[in-house]
Amino acid sequence: MLKMNNIRKVFRTEVVETHALRDFSLQVNEGEFVAVTGPSGSGKTTFLNIAGLLETITAGEYFLDGVDVKDLNDNQRSKLRNEKIGFIFQSFNLIPDLNLFDNVDVPLRYRSMNAKERKERIENALDIVGLANRMKHIPAQLSGGQQQRVAIARALAGSPRFLLADEPTGNLDSAMAESVMELLEDINSKGTTIIMVTHDPKLALRAPRSIAVKDGKVSEVSRVESPVEMPLHEPALA
Amino acid sequence: MEIKPILSALSRNKTGALLIALQIALTMTIIVNSVFMIQQRQGQMERESGIDEKNTFLFSYMGFADDFNEKTRIVEDLDYIRKMPGIVAAVQTNSAPLTGGGWSMGLARETGPDADGVGTAIYFVDEQGVDAFGVKLLAGRNFTADEIIWRERTSNDWPGQGVVTKALASDLFDGDWQAALGKTVYINETQPINIIGIVEKMQAPWNGWRGVERTLLVPNRTLFGGGRIMVRTEPGERDRLMKEVEEQLFANYKGRLIRNVRSMEEIRTESYQAHNGMNTILKVLIVCLTVVTALGIIGLASFSVNRRKKQIGTRRALGARKKDILRYFMLENFLITSVGVVVGAAMTIGLNMVLVDMLNLPKIDWYYIPAGMLLLWFIGQLAVFGPAKKACQISPALATRSV
Amino acid sequence: MLGYYFKLSLLSIKRNPILSTLMVAAIAVGIGASMTTITVNYAMGANPVPQKSDQLFAIQLDSWDPNRPYREPDILPDQVTYMDAMALMKNAPAKRQTAMSKVFAVIEPEGEDVRPFETEGRATFGDFFAMFSTPFLYGNGWSRESDDNLEMVTVLSKETNEKVFGGENSVGKFIRIAGREYKVVGVLDDYRPIPKYYDVTNGAFREPEGYYIPFNLIASLELSRSGNTNCWKPSDEDGFQGFLNSECVWIQFWAELPTENEQQEYLGFLNNYAKQQKELGRFPRPLNNKINDVMEWMELQGVVQDSAKIVMWLSVMFLMVCLLNTIGLLLTKFSTKSGEIGLRRALGASKRNLFIQHLMESGIIGFVGGIIGLGLAWGGLKGVSALFGKNVQHLVYLDSNMVIFAILLAIVSALLAGAYPTWRACNIQPAVQLKTQ
Repeated sequence: MLKMNNIRKVFRTEVVETHALRDFSLQVNEGEFVAVTGPSGSGKTTFLNIAGLLETITAGEYFLDGVDVKDLNDNQRSKLRNEKIGFIFQSFNLIPDLNLFDNVDVPLRYRSMNAKERKERIENALDIVGLANRMKHIPAQLSGGQQQRVAIARALAGSPRFLLADEPTGNLDSAMAESVMELLEDINSKGTTIIMVTHDPKLALRAPRSIAVKDGKVSEVSRVESPVEMPLHEPALA
Repeated sequence: MEIKPILSALSRNKTGALLIALQIALTMTIIVNSVFMIQQRQGQMERESGIDEKNTFLFSYMGFADDFNEKTRIVEDLDYIRKMPGIVAAVQTNSAPLTGGGWSMGLARETGPDADGVGTAIYFVDEQGVDAFGVKLLAGRNFTADEIIWRERTSNDWPGQGVVTKALASDLFDGDWQAALGKTVYINETQPINIIGIVEKMQAPWNGWRGVERTLLVPNRTLFGGGRIMVRTEPGERDRLMKEVEEQLFANYKGRLIRNVRSMEEIRTESYQAHNGMNTILKVLIVCLTVVTALGIIGLASFSVNRRKKQIGTRRALGARKKDILRYFMLENFLITSVGVVVGAAMTIGLNMVLVDMLNLPKIDWYYIPAGMLLLWFIGQLAVFGPAKKACQISPALATRSV
Repeated sequence: MLGYYFKLSLLSIKRNPILSTLMVAAIAVGIGASMTTITVNYAMGANPVPQKSDQLFAIQLDSWDPNRPYREPDILPDQVTYMDAMALMKNAPAKRQTAMSKVFAVIEPEGEDVRPFETEGRATFGDFFAMFSTPFLYGNGWSRESDDNLEMVTVLSKETNEKVFGGENSVGKFIRIAGREYKVVGVLDDYRPIPKYYDVTNGAFREPEGYYIPFNLIASLELSRSGNTNCWKPSDEDGFQGFLNSECVWIQFWAELPTENEQQEYLGFLNNYAKQQKELGRFPRPLNNKINDVMEWMELQGVVQDSAKIVMWLSVMFLMVCLLNTIGLLLTKFSTKSGEIGLRRALGASKRNLFIQHLMESGIIGFVGGIIGLGLAWGGLKGVSALFGKNVQHLVYLDSNMVIFAILLAIVSALLAGAYPTWRACNIQPAVQLKTQ
């Protein structure tokens, strides 16, 4: 599904050269749910941007669903992103003056899809996240958890094979976070590959597979056979 | 106030700053040149015609009936008008200042076709001419009744006397206008005219002509089939007499047409209609331009304040006083405007050069440039003041909030 | 898809109402000001006879003073002398040609209802009407025989016919002009070439004359004529004949020369004629004669006044200021949208998608600005008309060409103004924007 070999990513400014990723290799198979952890500055966001075709790589190989993306131009990358990848962001990134229906509509608009099919998909996606009855509301009228559900609906509407989530619960309280996680697991169980970036090790443990990024490298791939059920965000010990 | 941080902030948003600077440069170019053109025209319009415009009016007549005898008609009409109460003087003439149509000839101090001539406007008048126009005789004398000669339409003969304006005398006699009195000059290459009088000022009919101050009065009454009569009244009597003269002359004789009875003030307005119109257009342009530029600055500054809200809050939290924030935005605008006005100064001179070429305008006076720069600085500061004031009101507490 | 962009553009415009109003207003006043002045210049510089403008030629002969040109630098007189006009009429090889001058007279209608009135006329040859394609309401022009036989015939303008005959078909009737009876042979329909190209010397934007009579009558009846008259030396004899034989120029001379050959032949004739005249002691300046077609003539005579051109360029500069303004405002506006743009990029919008979307937004602003600007231009033209009086009344209306031009100008201006901000907006890196929001 996703295969990265020896990827290097260098950011250059006039003064410094930052190696965000070096010799980064990873393979994710179809249907997997992978958690990516690491301290801030470790390169996990860069990894996500590259995986989501938002950034290009400096060196190495990246195959997405068997396609070598290195030589794709901007248009082809946009198309691939639109069709195969769904994004979920920490801060939801809904467009404030579009209602829920129109927000979920955004990625579909960039495909040649007729109005009827779009409508069906949007309603279906909102139904999955349990917000079908609030289609005409604007994001500001929803709670944070609901907004993130809309964002998930937006990601699902295009039936992507591959879902990239960047701290999807980072801005949510624990109850909402829990329901969002359950939703993601449910989606994964229906066959969608999910890569989730998080800095929270407990959250990472809920994923069947978890990797850690450190200094721009996949430093460790650990596997616990059966994840222990743990509550999210355990109250801090006094 | 430290300029350096402003400069480095500006250098990160070069395009925006350059756009405003360029806009200011263009604005300055247009405004300064427009003001200059307006003042040039205003100067032309303010030139005095030399005649008593307040109390004079002019009309045209034209004979058409079979029994129309111009000679007796003119004598009778003038006699009649001159006797009306409230009339100071009346004269038959071919034209008048500001009318735009008239007769011109060349005058020279020598005879012959190769003599250097001075072009002058000609007015045919009789002994009441000086009084009827209300011009001031500086030296010499007026025409006498027995000097007046009837002139046919196709005649080439010129009377032996003439009254000239001071400007014409001065141009003919190398700047020494007093020397002209009593001298003989030549018209039509060979015909002598003795200068018997000099009037202070009387414009030629064409207000756009370079020699507009050069005028020659000759003692002729014309038999051209039609002509004009200039009437001067006592103060306050003009409007009444304009009506009465027209009605009475028509009542006296119906075989000639009387048209275009207009006061010299109306004639002046009409004469400078295009000047006035052009000036009004330029003024409207200046106002629109100032408003657009100012609104543009306000719009951009408001945006930049909004975008930097958090930054401003942080600065406030770190101890910046309100007036530091205000000064920051004012100074930023001043720096951008300064670039604009420097470029604008060069462009202003460039446009002026084009205008000099196309419109025969004089070169722009140097002080227009600094005046324009000051104006634009002022507009800029005024425009940015509102948004800057708003920036001061931003609460330091904003720093701790995440927007 | 365009519908979607349209919807998004409207949303975006609504999001910053003050900013959008500022941009629309800037474009509107810019378009209003420039369209007002462009319209006046366009009317001044319009081709008054598009179908024939390259076949009609104003004739210039240098019969002027040996010591100085008619005008510096070495510019030919714009009119010709009577002697030359007569010689050309007699022998010059043109399909049609005419000498002409302004005349003026009092017209006396019959009966007491209408008072006598003074009006300007045009003394010309019978070819005038065919040459300048004048439309006839009744009757026709007169023939060359009428010219030769000094017939007392006249063609009236529609207005004169209204005034004297109440608008009815007056062909065959008589009219009293300057104390003489003329037989009406034709009445023109509305005829108002702008500019009045066949006599720009006496005012390119003056009304056409009220009546037309055979040119030859000027000499035979010693008619009162008017219009610009310039002389470089006094005439040798007294009286009207002396004036006719003088070196004064006062006649506009036009020839219709449809083909290149005819034009060459005509110019050759002029040069030969000038050489003959030199032998007789006239034409003391170097050989220099010209034929100018209509548009060349308009250019040469400076029909579009320099001050009008200047004001036009000033207002175009003003439009540029307005556009710079709009660019600045769009730039800031789009920069606040970088989050949304980044998001759309992440969700699969291509650069092209976003470029079109934002260009459409600029286009809508331009279109609305253009429509309002048209209204302002209409008002501006009313203002110009009020300021300049009747001399410009035919220069100040917006025809359909101008309306289309104004809207196009507004949209193109707005798109140009929008291009750079849009380009910048579309090049926002999607990733960078999503991290910090």
